[in-house]
Amino acid sequence: MVRLADIPEPERTVIADLNCPHYADTPPTTPLAAAQRHVAIVSTAGFIVRGERPMLSSETGYRAIAATVDDGDILCSHVSTNFDRTGFQQDLNVMLPRDRLRELQQQAVIGKAADTHYAFMGATSPEKLEDKARELGRSMLALGVNTVVLAPV
Amino acid sequence: MSGLAHYLEDEGLATVIVALVREHIVSMRPPRALWIPFELGRPFGAPGNADLQRRVLRTALALLDKPATGPLLEEFSEEVPAGDDPDWYFPGTLDNTDVLAEAASIKPIWQIARERLARTTVGISGLAPEVAVEYIERFHSADPLPNPRGMAPVSRARFAVDDIKAFYFEAALAQGGHPSTLQLHEWFWNETLAGVLLREFQERARVSDDKNLRLIASSLVPAERCHWFLHGLESP
Repeated sequence: MVRLADIPEPERTVIADLNCPHYADTPPTTPLAAAQRHVAIVSTAGFIVRGERPMLSSETGYRAIAATVDDGDILCSHVSTNFDRTGFQQDLNVMLPRDRLRELQQQAVIGKAADTHYAFMGATSPEKLEDKARELGRSMLALGVNTVVLAPV
Repeated sequence: MSGLAHYLEDEGLATVIVALVREHIVSMRPPRALWIPFELGRPFGAPGNADLQRRVLRTALALLDKPATGPLLEEFSEEVPAGDDPDWYFPGTLDNTDVLAEAASIKPIWQIARERLARTTVGISGLAPEVAVEYIERFHSADPLPNPRGMAPVSRARFAVDDIKAFYFEAALAQGGHPSTLQLHEWFWNETLAGVLLREFQERARVSDDKNLRLIASSLVPAERCHWFLHGLESP
């Protein structure tokens, strides 16, 4: 287990001193009832599908990971080497729990697991992601997605 | 990540963040966040522990059922047991003649791991793993390995380094076990010639005249390893 105090230096100071942008409180969207939730995962692990161009540092676009993509074809192109990848190497669900989400659909905890999940490149200034994040939001809504689990690394 | 939450909520999606760095969440105030006290890189817990992963996901989604007029931040109550696996050892013998021989000796073990894990995360550079080792080994030589089309040489080098690490770490898991991240990194960085190769490559990149190489230098070796090597420190 790791808390900020457990992260080794110098990374701890880098994380602690990160200049986070200020956001005014965003009025929360009213969630639908559980049975109506159509849930996608949006990760900042820089996932790509094998054969695609890896995401580059500070890239502001996003990639789509369709349900038909095999676990073995999902690769992590995140720029940072300061987080663990050995968990991901053993089990995709440590970073992208798409199997767990499908199980929650089967158990009727949610209405539907999305057919496609998405990835941005983390370690990118959040403001630079705004245009593409809003574009993705509109795209997901058009596909019927109404709920998003955001997964960092 | 919190920025994404603000933008997606503003577009009309309900969001919940599974958050690794509590301080950033407190600062950026996304509408809903579940702070999980796990290692960076493992937001949903431990590999192979589907029950824990499911509990994290269910707990996060349950935040959507709570009334919220302002930012909602809750803490996940479970932790992942820490500590090394005393029974873990590297499941093979490395040929330490040189780094290319070592990589060749790793490959059959990695292939066993690949079957056991039913996948591999090697491949982002587009090079076979033993070729990735040779690409880095010859990068600064008078006879560098040709760079295939489709990726700039420095980018290829950065991703070849990622592939080398994945190649070795996956091989280290060929017989399973539950080695800690620290345990695996101690083995790789202190006991393999590939670890030495990457440290030397990182150092040359750091002081290179090539701006692009300098830019990737921090993406090659974990920052704490650089710090420990630089100051001759033992890992904790």
